[in-house]
Amino acid sequence: MGDDIRIFDRQVVRLHRDRAARDLARHDFLFRETADRLVERLDDVRRRFPVALDLGCHGGEVGRALNGRGGVETLVQADLSPAMARLAGGRRVACDEEFLPFAPASFDLVLSNLSLHWVNDLPGALVQIRRALKPDGLLLATMLGGETLKELRHAWMEAELAEEGGAGPRVSPFADIRDAGGLLQRAGFALPVADADTITVSYPDAMRLIVDLRGMGETNAVADRRKGLTRRATLFHAVAAYQRAFADDQGRVPATFQTVTLTAWAPHEAQPRPLRPGGASIRLSDALNGEPRPVDDSPP
Amino acid sequence: MTPALDPKLLEILVCPLTKGPLRYDRERQELVSDKAGLAFPIRDGIPIMLADEARPLDETETRS
Repeated sequence: MGDDIRIFDRQVVRLHRDRAARDLARHDFLFRETADRLVERLDDVRRRFPVALDLGCHGGEVGRALNGRGGVETLVQADLSPAMARLAGGRRVACDEEFLPFAPASFDLVLSNLSLHWVNDLPGALVQIRRALKPDGLLLATMLGGETLKELRHAWMEAELAEEGGAGPRVSPFADIRDAGGLLQRAGFALPVADADTITVSYPDAMRLIVDLRGMGETNAVADRRKGLTRRATLFHAVAAYQRAFADDQGRVPATFQTVTLTAWAPHEAQPRPLRPGGASIRLSDALNGEPRPVDDSPP
Repeated sequence: MTPALDPKLLEILVCPLTKGPLRYDRERQELVSDKAGLAFPIRDGIPIMLADEARPLDETETRS
């Protein structure tokens, strides 16, 4: 399962997170910000979700942001990294998004904050999430989108071409919002919506950004990334290139994070859905000219 | 003393590979998937449901 499209090295994703768990509180700004924005969406839903899962919980940011929202009574927090799960507290599980260990129809709500962009087999993970949801259960997930770290991508490219005569993928590829809705639909979700949001963070210099990414456990885990240590010359070149291309008049540099938010429901009979072809009860011609009348001829 | 596994978790957890049921071995603090032949460790009350952390069962252990 999933081995045919192995973009990310999941062992490395886990390693990055295990390492980041040691000092996460100093670098979890982005996780906290997107967790707040994610759970605020529950305010627009007039329903209660007694049993919820936070999939890819990092240090438990979503759990803390929830703070009684959505009528959540039981929250299970799961992360690929046991060290992160330990940090989150409460009911915790270490698990892989690509191999979910939950029985069918376990949850009323699945939340996921900035984690699904590290999954190789996203369609497979979505199908498993849908099955873990009860009928009419809600998936509410953010992941990093394709615009994320566009400045850093540019700076690394320039530095590697100059210092090493070739460029490999330095910054992980992220999801394209145009794919997201279709993916949800193919995974069997109803009423799928994907929307994007941009957060621009200002840093004193690019080095500080790189340190932060490492602190979040969000550095590159592409399977065919360049292995081994980054050469110092290349790193300094990239930091300088970043500064040159993007610094404002105070010398600070922006870093773009695009979040793609997925909202979708596990199918249920009570949800609105299109009628089957031929299932209309009113003639189109009647609806267009004057009073609609019921269809009188019986179906073939 | 080892913390007991949360009953709510026990209720919803299944084997990540086979999606089959799990047996709770309180003594060894493991969740056993007979079908997959794997025992998933529970550390500090946290079930580690990762295949590469699981202990392969030997023949005498499987019940199915």
